[in-house]
Amino acid sequence: MNVVSVMSPAGCSHVNAYKVDNWRPNLRVIYQCFVWSGSAETRRRKAKSCICHMCGAHLNRLHSCLYCVFFGCFTKKHIHEHAKNKRHNLAIDLLYGGIYCFVCQDYIYDKDMEQIAKEEQRKAWKLQGVGEKYSTWEPTKRELDLLRHNPKRRKMTTNCTIGLRGLINLGNTCFMNCIVQALTHTPLLRDFFLSDRHKCEMQSNSCLVCEMSQLFQEFYSGHRSPHIPFRLLHLVWTHARHLAGYEQQDAHEFLIAALDVLHRHCKGDTTNDNGKKANNPNHCNCIIDQIFTGGLQSDVTCQVCHGVSTTIDPFWDISLDLPGSSTPFWPLSPGGDGGTVNGESHLSGATTLTDCLRRFTRPEHLGSSAKIKCGGCHSYQESTKQLTMKKLPIVACFHLKRFEHSAKLRRKITTYVSFPLELDMTPFMASRWASTNYLPPGLYVLVRYALFAVVNHQGTLESGHYTSFIRQHKDQWFKCDDAIITKASIKDVLDSEGYLLFYHKQFLEYE
Amino acid sequence: MNKDSQMRAAINQKLIEMGERERLKELLRAKLVECGWKDQMKAQCKDVIREKGLEHVTVEDLVVEITPKGRALVPDSVKKELLQRIRASLAQHSTL
Repeated sequence: MNVVSVMSPAGCSHVNAYKVDNWRPNLRVIYQCFVWSGSAETRRRKAKSCICHMCGAHLNRLHSCLYCVFFGCFTKKHIHEHAKNKRHNLAIDLLYGGIYCFVCQDYIYDKDMEQIAKEEQRKAWKLQGVGEKYSTWEPTKRELDLLRHNPKRRKMTTNCTIGLRGLINLGNTCFMNCIVQALTHTPLLRDFFLSDRHKCEMQSNSCLVCEMSQLFQEFYSGHRSPHIPFRLLHLVWTHARHLAGYEQQDAHEFLIAALDVLHRHCKGDTTNDNGKKANNPNHCNCIIDQIFTGGLQSDVTCQVCHGVSTTIDPFWDISLDLPGSSTPFWPLSPGGDGGTVNGESHLSGATTLTDCLRRFTRPEHLGSSAKIKCGGCHSYQESTKQLTMKKLPIVACFHLKRFEHSAKLRRKITTYVSFPLELDMTPFMASRWASTNYLPPGLYVLVRYALFAVVNHQGTLESGHYTSFIRQHKDQWFKCDDAIITKASIKDVLDSEGYLLFYHKQFLEYE
Repeated sequence: MNKDSQMRAAINQKLIEMGERERLKELLRAKLVECGWKDQMKAQCKDVIREKGLEHVTVEDLVVEITPKGRALVPDSVKKELLQRIRASLAQHSTL
């Protein structure tokens, strides 16, 4: 039988014989009981009954007949025999829920049946406590029209340079250029802006988010000439007065100021589930918060009653002290608070980012001169304080504190700190996970981060220059030196001094 | 059914009842994406579709061509890990 059938959104014509009477609830029952079993009871039933009626196997791509209670292997053609004998020409794949038509000899896609399948799958996930899962994008009718009326396509091959663009230095603005390079190569931010998700509510022309959107259009336009970011510079001067002027500024300060202004200007995009505007600055859901905001937990333990007082503060970046600074860096064990500057005393080899993070999250004895009022003891007591990550941001930015501006000296710490391409944040997380070695299955992949941008500073405190490395197409790196973009090796990146390090979560989960 | 497939069926039943089978599937999915296996399979599928022609290819064509390649390309580390996980889950409910 060689049948060539035309597929359409209405499936094949043979489904129509099935879609009569009570077919919808019947189909739902089949999905609930035998395909996506959410509850314990349906699972037990599935476990017991889902075996081939002819050979008893539970593997071999088991299918269920849609017209009667029959399970048969697909691989051994047992379901095919049943279909032929009984003239029941529809079956459902118990693994993936696909509908097979024996007349067309292929899986068919009927819109109504697909709808039911999706709903039942979501129900089962909910019952299992899994929540929403990623499903591929499907265009709406309007989007299909847009695609048809605009046939020009840009193909992204592994070697294409779309997304790479130099930035003209407008007078010591390399500090801004580096941050722009890092932001335009933050995957989630790029996706947000390229899908036009920003709805501007500002009356004037001074919305930084709109300008950011424009910037993304410029970067992904395919133009190769360097872009002149004069409008961006002007907006930054307008909204962050402390950064105005032609002096060299700190790239880290610019990053925080830029994120702050973007966050403030995102008002039009923040909505909660009811569609109402959520303007609470502590509970904003704008794209900046979704991507960059993490939660830092601070536990203060009273040394007398051992009561713990916990606070959680939002953060956009983690500033790390370096060896060679005037703050005590070594040793790592608690109680070591020598006033002298310690170098990399007992370490053979360079300091690593992990060392810095370990130091950042170690318990710190606060000393007798900094007693805390304990709620349990009702008096001032000595305590230890410990910082850990409570909520990991999607993009983690680490700021190596190379610029020292203490009362006695202003200098740059050029100590080399080695940083990894991949970072596991597990050891630095809040106590619940750090103390146990067991993470729920599959969850450990959620705390792995990948490096995607590095901002470097060359020179001294008085006269210096910022450049950046950004990652493109998973494994290609490029050096951005204002208007000049050159290919770089992973070694170039990892050997660089490192001032701002940008890491991106490798796997994303839905809330 | 011989002893081996009896054991298999029993294990499968237990895992479905525990709800563990779904969780293991999710873990496996994540690992196969991570090691690039999914991308490789996608590329293979595209080749088969190109070969047979978009209008005529069936799911069966893809299954027949892709299954042996897919099985062969799963990294040993992933197999090991899944096996460990299955053992651990069954050990938790030691009625088997």
